[in-house]
Parts: sequence; C-alpha cells; structure tokens
Amino acid sequence: MKKLYSNKLVIASLVFPGLLVFLFAILAPICLSVYYGFTDYSGMGAANLIGFDNYKALLKDSTFWLALRNSLLLAIGFICIQHPLALIVAAVLDKLQGKAEGFFRCVYFIPNVISVAVIAYLWKFIYNPDFGLLNNILHIFGYQGKVNFLSKEYAIWSVLIVLIWHGFGWGMLIYYTGIKNIDPVLYEAASIDGANKKTTFLRITLPLMKPVIQINVTMAVISALKQMETVYLLTNGGPGNSTQFTANYLYQQAFKAFKYGYGNAIGVVFIIICLLVTVGLNKIFAEKTV
Amino acid sequence: MKRKVVAGMMAALMAAGLLAGCGNTEKPASTSAADKSTSAAATSESSKSESSKSESTASGDAVTLKIFSNLPDRKNGQGLVEQTIIDDYEKENPNVKIEVEALDEEAYKTKFKAYAMDGMPDVVSIWGQPSFLDEVLDAGVLAELDQDAYKDYGFVSGSLDGFMKDGKLYGLPRNTDVAGFYYNEKMFKDNGWSVPETYEDLLALAPKINDAGFVPVAMDGGDGWPMAIYLTDLLERVDGTISEKVNKAVADGDFTDPSFVKATELLKASADAGLFQTGYDSQDYGTAMNLFTNGQAAMFYMGSWEASMALNEDIPAEVRDNIRVFSMPATKDGKGKQTDIAAWNGGGYAVSANSKVKDEAIKFLNYMYQPDKLSKYGWENGVGMSAQDQSAYMTGNETELQKQFLDIVKNSTSTTGTTINDRGPSAFKTSIESEIQNVTNGTTSVDDFLATIGTACK
Amino acid sequence: MEKKIKTKKQWTVGRVLLWVVLICVAVIQIFPLIWLVDFSLASSNEMFTKGLLVIPQKIQWGNYVKAFIDGHFLLYLKNSLLINGLAVLLVILISLMAAFACKRMIWKMSGLVKTLLLLGMMIPIHATLLPNYKIYNMLGLTDTIWALLIPYIAFSLPQALFLMTGFLDAIPVELEEAAVMDGSGIYRIVFRMILPLMKSSVATVAIMTFLNNWNEFMMASTYLSSPTWKTLPFSVLEFTGQYSSNYAVQFAVMALTAAPAVLVYILLNKHITKGVAMGAVKG
Repeated sequence: MKKLYSNKLVIASLVFPGLLVFLFAILAPICLSVYYGFTDYSGMGAANLIGFDNYKALLKDSTFWLALRNSLLLAIGFICIQHPLALIVAAVLDKLQGKAEGFFRCVYFIPNVISVAVIAYLWKFIYNPDFGLLNNILHIFGYQGKVNFLSKEYAIWSVLIVLIWHGFGWGMLIYYTGIKNIDPVLYEAASIDGANKKTTFLRITLPLMKPVIQINVTMAVISALKQMETVYLLTNGGPGNSTQFTANYLYQQAFKAFKYGYGNAIGVVFIIICLLVTVGLNKIFAEKTV
Repeated sequence: MKRKVVAGMMAALMAAGLLAGCGNTEKPASTSAADKSTSAAATSESSKSESSKSESTASGDAVTLKIFSNLPDRKNGQGLVEQTIIDDYEKENPNVKIEVEALDEEAYKTKFKAYAMDGMPDVVSIWGQPSFLDEVLDAGVLAELDQDAYKDYGFVSGSLDGFMKDGKLYGLPRNTDVAGFYYNEKMFKDNGWSVPETYEDLLALAPKINDAGFVPVAMDGGDGWPMAIYLTDLLERVDGTISEKVNKAVADGDFTDPSFVKATELLKASADAGLFQTGYDSQDYGTAMNLFTNGQAAMFYMGSWEASMALNEDIPAEVRDNIRVFSMPATKDGKGKQTDIAAWNGGGYAVSANSKVKDEAIKFLNYMYQPDKLSKYGWENGVGMSAQDQSAYMTGNETELQKQFLDIVKNSTSTTGTTINDRGPSAFKTSIESEIQNVTNGTTSVDDFLATIGTACK
Repeated sequence: MEKKIKTKKQWTVGRVLLWVVLICVAVIQIFPLIWLVDFSLASSNEMFTKGLLVIPQKIQWGNYVKAFIDGHFLLYLKNSLLINGLAVLLVILISLMAAFACKRMIWKMSGLVKTLLLLGMMIPIHATLLPNYKIYNMLGLTDTIWALLIPYIAFSLPQALFLMTGFLDAIPVELEEAAVMDGSGIYRIVFRMILPLMKSSVATVAIMTFLNNWNEFMMASTYLSSPTWKTLPFSVLEFTGQYSSNYAVQFAVMALTAAPAVLVYILLNKHITKGVAMGAVKG
C-alpha cells in the first residue's frame, strides 16, 4: 500500500494540472506585474526600467489612499450593518417552521444569484433622481425635492447599500447554517433555567457562532478590499474619485491613463495588502480562540 | 522577457512599415508619391504570397474584416450610417465578411488601449486629438495613409490636421463636431421662456425652469468630457482666442491665466445656480439624454452628432419635432461672441498597421469616404456634418436642426478646434475629466482644480 | 396537531413583530426586482411617473422581443452555460486529484504544494487582469474560450481544493485499503471509488464554482471582443449603449438576463442552499 501511495509518477500526474493552472494563471501574471511595476511602460511602445519610481509615486497618490479608505469604510459597513442584520434575521428565521422558513430563505437569497451587471444597472435606475424608485418612495412620504444618491457625499454609502442588499442572502445563509448546527439540547437547557429569548441569543447563540462570525468578518474585509465590479458599473469611481477602489483604480490607470506600468505597481501593492490582511486577520482570530 | 517583447514589437513595426511601403525605413519621399494601388498590392503580395497580385479581391479569397467602432447603437444616427455602409460593402464584395465590435465611447477608449498593446482589429475608430492619438502614433499601431489619394474626397480644409504627424497621415475625420444647447422649443413656448441672448440670461432662466418642475440643462457630467467641452466653450466666450493659451498652458503645466480662473468660476456658478439636473456629476450620457428626449429637461448640451434625435423614432414625436439648437451665448463682459463656436474634427477612422488584411481594410476605408457614403448617408440620417463637402446632398428637406447647425457653422466667426481636455496627454485628459466633477460640485476649489490639471501635464 | 397548538399559543406580540421583520426584509430584497419587471413591460415615457409602479397602458411584450433578439440572448446563454459547465467539470477533476495527492499520498512536498495552491484564495483576482491580458495576447488566447476558462478555473480551484480536502477527511482510509488489496490502482481508487462517495461534496464544489463564475464579466469584457464567446452579462452591457434612448428595453434585457439564474435557483433552491451552506461554513 505504502509503495503504491508514494509512487512519484502518480503523484506528479495528480498534482500537475492544479500546479499548471496555478503557475500559468496566478504566479506568472504576478511575476509579470512585478516586472512591469518597475517600468514606465505606457501599454504601447518600449518599457524602460525606472526602479521604485512608481512605488514612490504611489505613496504620494492621494487617490490610492482614498481607495483604501473606501475599502475600510465598506468593510466597516459590512461588519456593522450587514452582518448584525443578517445574524438577527437568521436567528429569527430559525424560529420559524415549515414552508414559511423555506420561502423567506429563498426570497432573501434571490438577489445573490443575479448578475452584478444587472444589479449595478438596476440600482443606477433606482437611485435616479428623476424617476428612480427611491426618490418616488420619498415623494410618497411627502418629500418634494430630488435627492441625488450618487452625489459625492452619498455615493459611497449608496454603493455600500447596493453591496449589502446584494450580499445579504449569502451572509444570512451562512449564519443560518451556523445557528442550525447548534445543538438544540443547549437551548432546552437554557429554557429550563428560565432564560428568556434575549439572554439565550446573547449567551448561547452568539458565543457558539463565534467561529462563523470570524469567517464572515474575514470574508467581509477581503471582499471590501477586492471590490470592483459593482463600482465599475455603478459609478466607475466617481463623482471625482469619491467611490474609487483599488482594483478599479489600477484598471483605469492602465487602460485609460496609459500608465500600464503604474497600474501594475498598484496591482503588486494590492496583492501584498490582501495577503497581509488575510494573514493578519487569521492570526488575530487564531489567538483569540486559543 | 522584456527584450523579447520589444524585439517582437520592433519586428511588427518594421514589417508594418515595409508593408505599407513607407514608414521609418530609408525610403524617402519617392514612395509617398506612389500611386494608390502600390501600397495595397505590396501588402497582399507579402501577406498572402501565393494569392494573385490583383488589387481587386472581389473574386478572391474570403476575407474577414474586423471593425472596432465606438457606435454601439446600430439602428440610429451615426451607428446606422456606419452599418449601412458596411452592408453595402458586403453586398458589393461578397467574399468579404465584416465583423463589428462596438462599444460606448468610454469603454471603447479603454479597450482600444488594451488592443494597442498587441494586435488591433483592422479598421478602428480614432480621435484626431493629442490626448488620444499622440501615444497611439508613437507606438506605431496605425497604418500610414497616402495623402494624395484623398485629394478628391472633398475634405474640409484643416480637417485632416489632427490626424497627421510629422507630415504623415494616419486617419480620416468622420465629422465636423459642433457643441451647442439643444432645446425643446415647444416647452420654451408653452412656458413663455425665450432663448437666452447672453450667458447671464441663461443663468437667470435656470430657476424659472426649475420652478416649473423641469431640468434646465441635461448634462452628461458623469463622463467628464462633455463638461470639458462646456468649459472650452466658456473659455472662448471669456477670452475670445483661447486656443493658443490652452496649448501654452498644457506645455507649461500652468493654468493660472485669469481666463481659466474666470471660465471655471463661471462653470461652477452655473452648477451652483441649478442649471444642470440633480446628480449631473454622476449620470451618464444615456441618462442625461433621456431626460431631454422624454421631455423632462428643457435643454441638453451636446455635440452636433446628436442632431439625429430629430429623426429617432424611439423619441416621442412631441419632443422629436420640437428640438432646436443654439450655440453657447456670449457673456456680458467677455471678449468672445456667440459666433465663436466650439467646433472641432474629432472622431474618425484608421487602419491598423499590422492588420493581416490591410489592403482590404484600406479599400474599405476609402469606400466609406467616397462622398456618396459617409457624407451622404450621414446627411440623410441627420447626424450632423461630415468633414467633407456635403453641399451636393442638400435637398431642402433637412430637419430644422440640421439647418440650424449649418447656419451656426456658416455664420461662425471662429472655432475653438480641439477641446481643452483633448489637447494634452492622456494623463491630463483623465485628470481634467475627473477633476472637473470635483470643481463643479464643490469638492475642490477653482485654484486647486487648475493646479491639479497643471500637474497632470508634466 | 401538536404544531397547530404551538403556533396558536405563540401568536403573541413577539411573534407578530417577528413576522413584520421577516416580511419587511423580504420586501426590501424582492421589490426592486418587481419594479424591474414592471417597468420592463411599460413604454419608456411611462417611466417618468411619480408612483412606485406603473400600470402600462399596453403591455409591451415587444421590449422582450427586442431584448431577446438584439441582446443575442440565446448565444450568450449558450456561451455562459458552456464555459461555466466546462469550468465546473475541470475544477472538480483537478481539485479532486490534487486533494487526493496532497491528503492521502505520501510525499515530502505535499504540505507545501497544498499551501501554494490554497494561496490563490488570497490573491485579488482583478490584480491579474493587466498582466494576464498581456500574457493571453502574446499566446493568442484573447478572444478565445481559454481566456475565460483558465482564470475561472484558477480562481475557483483554491476554494474547491479546500473543500475537497475537508470532505476527503471524512472518508475512512480503511475503504481504500480494501481496494488496494483487491489490486486497484490509484486512478481507479480516485475516480471509481472516491468520486462516487463524494457526490454531495462534488455538488457543493460545483455550486460554489458555478455561482462564483456565472456572473463574472470583468475578465470577459477585458479578454473578449467578438460575440463568439461572450457571456450573458454582455447582453446588459451592450444594450445600454445600443438602446440608450429606450429605457424600457434596457429593463427588459436586465430582467431577461437575470431570469435563468433566478429560475434555476427557485427550482433547485433546496440543493443550492444546502450546497452553499456546506461550502460556506467549511470554507
């Protein structure tokens, strides 16, 4: 058995496709990015090595920092708005039985299976000051003016709302599964002890959900960092750069401003940040659980 | 890696140069005078060596031409014109199949740059402006065209200038573009508004229109470039001869001249006065235009290419039949007049330098510019003015809009030429088009705005 | 019977509140879509209404005809299905093989290779857009199906591998030992024995991969140019340009594009929920 299981040729043949894909689609582009990040390549013509100039410029590039700040805002929004809501709704849903439970679960998840392209354009219309859904709702409540939800003050929040709306079902479902996995014996014990619903939720549900919450928080931070598609279609970073995100910014720099080299430098820093944040969060949570 | 890429590009460049029978090889003037067919024949000879040398491919092998266009709406206006010509060409040349990829202008420009890195479609839309063309030409991705071949095509004088570099021609202009305020004449009449004589009148009109529950001017502020055109228009009103000042400012990276300050302040004052719709700074072309075409806005600031609105069946007749236009009115104490119009030769077509079917591509390009194609069809579809002499196609049945635009051009005392955002490198364009949103909505001050766009020139 | 009594008993203020919350959230989640469908059946100038919904004077089915034909709906749907289907298949195969090799086979580098492959999970996919575009161009892969397949596989693989190794743990080694006794080779064990045993895990990986890639368009719009391989989201992207002056048709194309996924989800709701739950809690 051991001989069979340590046959190098077989091992190689099993791992080869995976490694090939990894090398070709992930490692190679990153290496290429690192190389172009050191050049002044515009996208056409010749590329000259210019050392760390791109990275120096990046440090001083206020738009880049703005993009990072927006990611942070988004992450906070996810953690402070989306997740508590999702957790509470999941806990409430858990109390239902039968058809209603399945029905609500299904309805909540539907936005999640719809393409970002549709979602972004749909919300563009919903936010439209002249005939958009939201302004019409405000009219019903007696507000006569027109609110521009995508103005520089509100745009980042409007983006956040779309993302929360779109991702709500996903977050809810994960919490829901987590809650379902909690041993019902614990609840029974609690109710025998005379605990009310609130205490049960705070004392039993929440603590036991900790690992799930940690995973969700990590995912929220990462997805806030990686945000691109919704923003690209909804605001493309505007007005000004008020809703700029790193991925969108590097795309714009490379393909719009003819700064392919600079765009790649942003990409390299972007990758490093994502790695650091993921590792960092895992570390923090690992220590806490111990 | 780098050496390989560079070498590859050099090879492509040289091949392209050789194929075109010109370019940067040591063959001087003699080739430029070559007759029209040589370049085409030369290409066919080397790219498909075994095929016949005959220039006509009508009976030849099947050819697929890829066209990359910035006109996604193939059923109206300019896009329809382009598609009609393509259909004509396919009919006349049954062996040729033409594939069109069409994207919105913004998406188009992005993708164009991506294409420019390696391998472009055969015929592409381009803009004869430094912001777009300089880097493209430096990279050598466009084929040189034979200037002499176009002597009889009736191009308006000066219209080819933007498409030239070092005396060589790389593209042909499609339109003469003029910016103006489209307005809904019926709405104006019904509400008792009169067409503003001065810019101050226009500003005074804004609250009235707002009070009546309409948007004064629908503005595509989300894209940045329409406001840059607007700014150019205002600069001309303030200064009178802005063209040289802009060139100097771009060259020096210094926009502190009082004219720039004044015009930018005027633009900001207009936004503050509620001249544009709520959320103008985040709404795109379609949204702005729909406000106007659905009777929600009294005016729409855009270029003459939208004159085809008057014939667009998707637009309610009540609006469609009442669209008129006026050019940017003069300001009270400015040096420019209303007849100093914002006009330029922007969009056009070019052929990819390393196209595998370059002879066919050039043949198609020339076909498009036969006077009875782009110019005639364009005129019939009301898309505004081509860059060629169109007088032969005047029928007297033109839409009011077309006549008005003709008058604006006929009576013009000067034109601005390329607009401010397109006069610098693309980094400058990116900067001004996003910063102009910030300055109008009050995120940045006028001085900061001018300083920032100045920095982007360097 | 018992249930009935239970519900009756609990029909209190708290329970009413609970229902109100649930219904409110449901309305928020679903109303925008109702609004979308409603407007897609109206004509463009009916949209400038002050009410929440419009009652179209005449139901404009023509909007959908235009969306269906001019949006290349069938072609793009076919492309989406094909590309995603292939990606799912390959991801399952590759991840299963790699998971088995890293988890069960005995070799020194197994840990390292596994970490390496999992590293992909942390790489922001959009950071590879620029260099990958360059690479695909050099290899002539742009505008081919590979330009989408490769990155789709690459960025779904880490998660799939993660799930597969997790699930593989649940399969007792004794089963394999028995198979080895019978003289089976490794390939036979992996594909004939393990694969059927892991049906539900494979379903989870399939669902996760599909959901990840079905709606992707950033790479598609960067790497593709001709309609040959364009995927469903392009219907929407192209339409906003083509029908910029006709909102209703834009709404129709959005509704049409969203429809397949929503329908499939409603039909397979239970399985998908289960799959996502399994995948998400593990991953």
